[in-house]
Amino acid sequence: MKLEAIVEKMNMKVVSGSSQLDREVTGGYASDLMSDVIANSKEGDLWVTLQIHQNIVAVAQLKELSGIIIVNNRNIEVETLKKAKEVGLPIMVTELPAFEIIGKLYELGVDR
Amino acid sequence: MMTLKEIIVILKAEVVTGADKLNMKIQIGCAADLMSDILAFSSPGALLLTGLTNPQVIRTAEMIDIKAICFVRAKKPDNTITTMADDLNMVLLRTDLPMFESCGRLYKEGIVSIDNLGIDKNGRE
Amino acid sequence: MAENKKYTKTQELTYELRVKDVMNRTVVAVSPKTTINELREIFRDNRISGTPVEDKGKLIGIISIEDVINCLSEGEMDAIVADKMSTNVEVLRPDEPLVHAVSKFNKSGFGRFPVIERDGGKLAGVITKGDIIKGILEKLEIHYHEEEIQRHRASYIFDDIVADQTTLSFQYNIKSKDFNRAGESSSQLKKALNCLGIQPDLVRRSAIAAYEAEMNIVVFADGGRLSAAVQTSQIKLTASDSGPGIPDIEKAMQPGYSTAPDWVQELGFGAGMGLMNIKNCTDKMDIQSEIGKGTHITAIIYLNNKK
Repeated sequence: MKLEAIVEKMNMKVVSGSSQLDREVTGGYASDLMSDVIANSKEGDLWVTLQIHQNIVAVAQLKELSGIIIVNNRNIEVETLKKAKEVGLPIMVTELPAFEIIGKLYELGVDR
Repeated sequence: MMTLKEIIVILKAEVVTGADKLNMKIQIGCAADLMSDILAFSSPGALLLTGLTNPQVIRTAEMIDIKAICFVRAKKPDNTITTMADDLNMVLLRTDLPMFESCGRLYKEGIVSIDNLGIDKNGRE
Repeated sequence: MAENKKYTKTQELTYELRVKDVMNRTVVAVSPKTTINELREIFRDNRISGTPVEDKGKLIGIISIEDVINCLSEGEMDAIVADKMSTNVEVLRPDEPLVHAVSKFNKSGFGRFPVIERDGGKLAGVITKGDIIKGILEKLEIHYHEEEIQRHRASYIFDDIVADQTTLSFQYNIKSKDFNRAGESSSQLKKALNCLGIQPDLVRRSAIAAYEAEMNIVVFADGGRLSAAVQTSQIKLTASDSGPGIPDIEKAMQPGYSTAPDWVQELGFGAGMGLMNIKNCTDKMDIQSEIGKGTHITAIIYLNNKK
């Protein structure tokens, strides 16, 4: 499924990488622990987290994730945003808590 | 609303401790690995899904009146954690499923997050 | 002694509880034209062993599993209920105390009594010995629960002590970098507040604030103190340490801002939400901090009016 289709249905705010929404989402991964994401996420995963530190951009690039969804409407750090824009990484912000946005993504067919 | 017994089936989970309390009813789920997030956004009586297994998970649950925790991503809590949970009458479950799959399955079966209940979220602006 | 007391309590309850409090309201009444064979199935499907017989909304008899067994042994399964029921029916009224039901059961040896409304004579329910036992046990459980709560409450301390201002304070010493025991102080604090009978949501808010403050001390400082001063109107939480101090408080208050090392993040804290959480959970918060000297946080939760 294309990231674009997900963004449309989920009513999320795209804060970076809006030109990259034609990326294919092949799965979902939810974690707030960087080491866990590095170890266990898979290429093409859409990453759900509440982390807003600039490290998330590096991790997403490293693992070639399709994008990041920040939950609970957290205000993304300026540095993070800058880096994400530089590398063209789609970051979306939702006001929903992790449990619910994951549930909705799962319903849409994002699963593993 | 479902019992922990039903949740165990949905998540292919096993009981770590609290087998006598599996009739507990659960309506709300919350998922996070960061305790501050749980402290800020969760509601009493929810099922907490987390990939963290340290004593702070139990402490956090205690502070916000959460009585049931399911450890995801094949994590195994140690004895310190089990003992703490026993003292506080909590139920601990564990599943090999990752966080994403666990939340997805429960949501599909009708577990909701606090947003759907319109409850005033503790500490939310 | 305890047994003696419970016995009296049970007796008391048989006077206090009414028939309508314990009776079964879903009655499967049968018509007099029902055959015994049909009746057998009704008993089996509803898992009952007896039921009232009604004709045109009026109670005319009662029939039980014993009658069915008799018919079975006599080969009279095609007989109708009207011919086999007991017509000499004793009934109870919904507003009668349970003790009447108890003595009626003792005298008659019947397994159940229909309960009939005083006005109109409508069938209101059926009562069995099992219903009485269940009703009393339920009531006892409620009483027991209330007593438990009463015993655990120390809230009357504030009513018993006469003073212009009463303050109950507790203090906890917090060890530095002891991550396994971090949170114990907040846990004890929470229990203490519960003991005082403070409203659960206020206890919860206090506990969250105390816990975040305690974690800050464990992570950043070389130990410190957490204390709570409880008055009738408020809880004042204080967390102080002689740690490194916060260079820029305004920045530290911003959600997401964190100077915590990575290992703290991996343990589930240090996501830059701590101070915000304290602020959001309390009604008033103040931070004083000096580089190299330490940090002093006070937070107040009002007990009378909600935030």
